[in-house]
Amino acid sequence: MSAELKVSGLGKAFTAGRAVVDDVSFTVAAGEIVVLLGPSGCGKTTTLRCVAGLEHPTEGEISLGGEVISAPAKGILLPPRLRNVGMVFQSYAVWPHLTVRQNVAYPLKTRGLSRADMDAKIRQALALVDLESYADRSVTQLSGGQTQRVALARAMVYEPRLLLLDEPLSNLDAQLRLRLRDELRRIIKAVGLTALYVTHEQTEAVVLGDRIGVMRDGKLLQLATAEDLYNRPADLFVAGFTGASNVVPGTVRAHHGAFGEIETASGARLSAWLNEGTPVGERVMVAVRPENIDLVPAADAPNRVTARILERRYQGTHTIYHLDLYGARIEALEMGTAPRHAEGGDVTIALPPTLCWAYPAAEIAP
Amino acid sequence: MAEAAAGVLYRRVRNWSWTALLLAVLSFLVIYPTLMLLLGALTGSNPVVDGYHWTDASLDNFLTVLANPNVHAALGNSLIVCTGGTIIAVGIGLLFAWIVVRTDTPGRRFVAAASMLPLFVPPLVAGVAWSILGSPKTGLVNAILAKIGLDWRINLYSMSGIIFVFGVYYAPYVYMFTASALRNMDPALEEAAEISGAGPVRTLFTVTFPLILPAILSGMLLSFIVMLGIYGVPAVLGAPSNISVLTTYIFQLTSWSPPRYSTAAAVALILMLVTGALVWLQQRLLTGRSFTTVAGKAFRPRALRLGPWRWLTLALAVVYLFVVVVLPTLALMVAAFRKFLFIRDIPSLFDEKQYSWIHFQRLFANQVTINSIINTMEVAVVTAILGGLLAFAIGYTVTRTRLPGRRAVDIISTIPVAIPGLVIGVAYLWAWIGLPGGFYGSIWILAFAFIARFLPDTVKALSSSLMQIHRELEEAAWICGRGTLSTIGSIVLPLARPGVVAAMTLLFVLAIRELGSSLFLYSSGTIVMAVQLLGYYEGGNISVTAAFSLVQMIILAVLIGITNRLTRGAAAGGIGRSG
Repeated sequence: MSAELKVSGLGKAFTAGRAVVDDVSFTVAAGEIVVLLGPSGCGKTTTLRCVAGLEHPTEGEISLGGEVISAPAKGILLPPRLRNVGMVFQSYAVWPHLTVRQNVAYPLKTRGLSRADMDAKIRQALALVDLESYADRSVTQLSGGQTQRVALARAMVYEPRLLLLDEPLSNLDAQLRLRLRDELRRIIKAVGLTALYVTHEQTEAVVLGDRIGVMRDGKLLQLATAEDLYNRPADLFVAGFTGASNVVPGTVRAHHGAFGEIETASGARLSAWLNEGTPVGERVMVAVRPENIDLVPAADAPNRVTARILERRYQGTHTIYHLDLYGARIEALEMGTAPRHAEGGDVTIALPPTLCWAYPAAEIAP
Repeated sequence: MAEAAAGVLYRRVRNWSWTALLLAVLSFLVIYPTLMLLLGALTGSNPVVDGYHWTDASLDNFLTVLANPNVHAALGNSLIVCTGGTIIAVGIGLLFAWIVVRTDTPGRRFVAAASMLPLFVPPLVAGVAWSILGSPKTGLVNAILAKIGLDWRINLYSMSGIIFVFGVYYAPYVYMFTASALRNMDPALEEAAEISGAGPVRTLFTVTFPLILPAILSGMLLSFIVMLGIYGVPAVLGAPSNISVLTTYIFQLTSWSPPRYSTAAAVALILMLVTGALVWLQQRLLTGRSFTTVAGKAFRPRALRLGPWRWLTLALAVVYLFVVVVLPTLALMVAAFRKFLFIRDIPSLFDEKQYSWIHFQRLFANQVTINSIINTMEVAVVTAILGGLLAFAIGYTVTRTRLPGRRAVDIISTIPVAIPGLVIGVAYLWAWIGLPGGFYGSIWILAFAFIARFLPDTVKALSSSLMQIHRELEEAAWICGRGTLSTIGSIVLPLARPGVVAAMTLLFVLAIRELGSSLFLYSSGTIVMAVQLLGYYEGGNISVTAAFSLVQMIILAVLIGITNRLTRGAAAGGIGRSG
């Protein structure tokens, strides 16, 4: 049943053009859900389609449960129908000329099961997605959410070794999306399937995935648990993409273990998490999330500093302050309905060094 | 108060008088001839001799014709050749649609063009060319088969001959519908089948074809409808072996002495009823639930890798092009330029001493040829200008105004969709032959019949180009103080000009090709090219017929080239719908 997916050095280049997928390697353990996250055009869908066999990679190797299913260098390319994987498409691709039952039965028919086995499996799959009473409906009579569940049942009914999901929630309205994403994880985990899931929605990735891989320009930048991704982004892009919108430029002056001493434009120094390989004198960017700025710091808190409030934006449940800090304009977030600071005033804040991440400025791609 | 009431009354009268004018024109063009056809089918009289009398109309006359075994034979033959032709057309059309849209066959643009090309060959010319190639005794193919010592012969003067020519020349109808359905289909639907474990062939038959079934059926019905109304092919290939279909039988009835006008009207009515039922069925399919609308995004093309088989699919397209265009054109050229069609041996086929312009000289030495070309051009110009203007007026009234009676205008202008050209000819004959004033036998009756015949397509084309002009552009002109007519002249017409020009040139081309309705409406002074071509063929002079066919093909090729320029490639669709 569920098998481990191993992708190594995967590359896909269309004739005459830059690589859409560039040297991507990762492993999805049996029963694990990995989400590939990234902006549109980052190569996440192409990666997924290479695993499905719908796209033919030009480099690297893909193996499923130890069996190599794609290795262009060795001339191995297993067609999709022999890979025994399930897939939920972005448009669902539920066949409109068939009923719900016929849609779910389709993959079983090509597998030569007995009538009784087939019926049992269909019933089980429909029960799992809560569509038993709709079995004989035409799929054109179903709502968006129901259609999506038919697609899911069809993808799981033959107990594939791996389930692939290509932005399965993007065609649903916001409310339904929230409900279905919890539902989706519950069902996948209940069956114990290995799953590879593609999305551009961060919250979806965080809720659904055991681990999240952030992609950009065909490269896999970081593959980690959601907690690691949010607290230890591997580079400035991942930091920015996951919401660390404040960036303070500076220069490395000293190393203290895992931290570095950064001199900012205003001359003040700040302590931030820094890769030990970054040389002293290197220009860096320090990223920090607005909600990680401490507005009521302890007296001995590191990176304690006073800043001018340039602008206050009251948002109801929280307030965003624009601060003039270290010569840059940064945002800080205060929870609660009653703002404590006024525009034009000074506020003493602290930036917890473990939540300030310095990255070499040269790494920033245009 | 009184003034306001007078204003309302004035507006009402003005609005109604415009739609009343349109309805009057349409009654003259469509309703009156159709009613007269009905009268003809219900009487046993000859309008030339007896005039028109509604009093002796009864269903008995129609029932007598229905019981006639000759009618049964013609109807049966029609159904057989159209069914056979449709089956071949579906096979070819579907195959090429799949090759073009879903495979990696090299030269797909060439295959796509080849799949549409037969539409430009007039049915009569195709029939003439294939009779030169495939007549049982003197056909070029048979002559060559005999010379190279093969015992196998073909006979195009047969039911299967008509079926063959129908099938290969009307495949584009199926191709047009199915290729666009395949293009609009979400490729994920096929990918899902592959992921589910289905192979390419299984995917094709369990997912792809069922999904485009509405398009297949629709194209199938349309090709059947067009075949049913074609006169040229069965006239040329069926006559030598006395095979009558509905269209040729109707014409025979009117050319007997004395002509059997009422029987012809009754058989024409049968043809119209069958066509009408099929058109209704096709429209229902088109407006019914379509499987292929999934998402509003452009789909990435999905090409099945055929490997070495892709050369076979390319070869099929080359063979098809050879059969429908190259071979017939070569046959016409051989027949037109050889002094004697008799071919002694293969080398003599390439002996340049055997070739000359003599048949062309004979063709143009005949004043009737010149007259027919001039007449055709006159009719085509009148049809294009008046037909274009009328269609614009109707299209504008129906799509842009809320005038009373516009629904009726819309419906009546669509009626001719269900009337084959030949039936329109019979209807016009009945409507005018018994009246004095010389309308019957003039250039005008031909032009008016053509306008009526092509009205639905012209209105549809113009309406869609009118609908692309945003309403607010017009409203802005009103706000600026312009009246309705001034706005049409200064805003709508200039913006819709590409569409109007395209519709008019298309009408011009269609009028030049039209044979079915001309047959009943020409006189010795107004003979047109298509009729004269048939005359040469029936006169037995194959070489002059071939020469005239080539002349017409060249005229049409030039005109279609111009039309294609003006419509940016939409000519095929326009000709397609009208046969």
